[in-house]
Amino acid sequence: MKLHYGKKLNFQFAVLVLPALAVFTGLLIVPMLLGFYYSLTDWNGMTTGMKFVGLGNYARIFGDKYAGEAWKFTLSFTLWNTVIQNIGAIALAVALDSAIKLKKLFRSIFFVPCLISPVVVGFVWLKIFGNALPALFESFGLKASSAMLFGRGDTVLAGLLIANNWQWIGYWALIYLAALQSIPSDLYEAAKIDGAGKTRTFFGITLPLLAPAVTICVVGITVGSLKVYDLLVSSTSGGPGRASSSIIYYIYDTAISGRQYGYGSALSISLIAALLAVAALQAAALRSREVQM
Amino acid sequence: MKLKNLAIVGFSLLICLSTLAACGGGAQPAATQAPAAAAPTTAPAEQVKLRVLAGQSTTDSGIEDMIDAALAKKHPNIKLEWECVDWGTDFQPKMQVYMQSGLPDIMIGKAQDVSTYGGLGLLADLTGKAYLNEVLEASIPGVTLGGKVLGVTYNALYQGVYYNRKLFTENGWTAPDTIADLQKIIDAANAKGITPFASHMVDTWSIGNVTMQFAVNDVFTKTPDWGDQFRQSKVNFIDSAGYRACYEYNKLIFDNTWKDETFSLEQTSCDARMVQGKAAMKVSGSWSIQNFLDVDESFDFGIFPFPNQSGDSKLLFEPNITFMASAASPSLSAVDNVLDIITGDKALGVQIYDFTKTAPMIKGATPTFPNPSQADIDKYAAQGRIQDVNLGNNQLQWGGFQEENAKDIAEYLQGNISLDDALKASDARRANSKA
Repeated sequence: MKLHYGKKLNFQFAVLVLPALAVFTGLLIVPMLLGFYYSLTDWNGMTTGMKFVGLGNYARIFGDKYAGEAWKFTLSFTLWNTVIQNIGAIALAVALDSAIKLKKLFRSIFFVPCLISPVVVGFVWLKIFGNALPALFESFGLKASSAMLFGRGDTVLAGLLIANNWQWIGYWALIYLAALQSIPSDLYEAAKIDGAGKTRTFFGITLPLLAPAVTICVVGITVGSLKVYDLLVSSTSGGPGRASSSIIYYIYDTAISGRQYGYGSALSISLIAALLAVAALQAAALRSREVQM
Repeated sequence: MKLKNLAIVGFSLLICLSTLAACGGGAQPAATQAPAAAAPTTAPAEQVKLRVLAGQSTTDSGIEDMIDAALAKKHPNIKLEWECVDWGTDFQPKMQVYMQSGLPDIMIGKAQDVSTYGGLGLLADLTGKAYLNEVLEASIPGVTLGGKVLGVTYNALYQGVYYNRKLFTENGWTAPDTIADLQKIIDAANAKGITPFASHMVDTWSIGNVTMQFAVNDVFTKTPDWGDQFRQSKVNFIDSAGYRACYEYNKLIFDNTWKDETFSLEQTSCDARMVQGKAAMKVSGSWSIQNFLDVDESFDFGIFPFPNQSGDSKLLFEPNITFMASAASPSLSAVDNVLDIITGDKALGVQIYDFTKTAPMIKGATPTFPNPSQADIDKYAAQGRIQDVNLGNNQLQWGGFQEENAKDIAEYLQGNISLDDALKASDARRANSKA
């Protein structure tokens, strides 16, 4: 029996898709469903027994002040990070796109930190804020403890922002740089002929044409910041106290160290919902401002 | 278009959800206990690879090479595949994963892990093994559960207040027995411009550790089943005079240390300052000795128990490196061979004790490293003033309970919450307290 051409094609497609579908189902869909199931139980991650608690774990999130504090820190970190990193990266990209000398060298230097593991970055900055800078401050007759940003609840966020931006600004700057270099030079020439100054040119031409890159960078930085964890592990361990405990850090502590896997799963799902909502909102808002060439 | 967006969102959701479920999978049923052999078996004729998960303290990194070398001499056909992790942060998570996917043949943790994992039927019964004769009898009860010996304790850490002997001698200070005595030393040190306590509170574990030190002497030696009573709601942190005092001792230390810096200063820097004479005392454990002697091998220090309310506090010891075998290991005979070497090779023992600067729990292996605090340890031992810290650790879970309490104490020290709030927070996590 001969198969109809369309059916034959569909069969071929199905055969081609099948291996990927099997892997996807086995490694993604099944664990996902199990994860959701665990969020409905009181499983501690160790014993064979677990009790079904329905949506109890989700209800508990609303009364959990530590989860609230973790969210507060995470959102502050994300907000500041997104603003500082984008502005800093654009500024850096514009500088690297200009006629400065040694710009290839600078580009490499700015990019290097993002190749380092955030765990190492955290440890390096712990040493910088804990030892190097205080010694430097002392040598200038300043109070050494003023440099210890990780040591106080009211300065730890600033310290972490410095460490995080030091690592990632160069990476995002390269994305902006690529976008800058794709802007046709005749637009700038036309603007120059029309008498536009540098500021007017930047806000009238450069920034609108950077909008697609802005979308990528803002969403990337936001989602990355919402998931901050490894930087904290080696620098502040979520402290002092819980002052720098991010939501991921709290989830890990709760689910794994605290042996509350069920509740940790519920927290994870709430985080995923938040990540998706933020990404969707940002993408929708930013795409409407993108300029097509 | 809507369908496309829905598909994209749905796909993203799947990927994200799967990430959190990656550690899932069916819980492994409790393994059956392996029958104990009366004597060690002969060495395997074929090449055997044993997986080892080593949950290490700060002192332990490097002992794996020493064990490998000793093993290679006597059993070249047994190879150990090491996975070394930090006990405090990574051992339990790793164990949780391996409980799903299959435990390593040998696990190295602390004696308190025996009750955690032995209670789940995961550990092999070592009762009656000949190599247990090489272990100090005093360590056996700590690794015995339900009448079965489930671990081999290799060394012990002492915990208490390490003091700079030179400073103490110069100022005529002696080991205090009461808080009032300690306060006099603190006042005298402050008057002379000496920081009374070295501390590194950036490491939350150090707050948790010292709090348990205080609690053993002020709470658990008075009420040995305090943790069990706590779970039955018969006692609480908020109305426990003993625990209130323990939390307040943290404040005493915080008020008398480099308080602007302690939440930024990690252990090695802190220990270096202690050696340099910048502080008179440090509530710590034997893990600091390695740092002390690395900075200055002639540093002279002693140890005394942190005083309690009743003036009868004891020096604490913690059974540390503890070998456990998986009940489901297909190579239990080879595991026995390894434990034979570990307990029987005294040269290896001396090498490890000298390296870790810890006290032996194996017979006939006396460390040769100079330990200036040994005289003090011997003195308290002679007076019967030695207490196993696992009296408390076996009742109150570390991660999720003691560690969370330590974060509350840090918040209290930073002035973000009151002492009562910190105590109430400990009560609020009663359900997660079981070790």
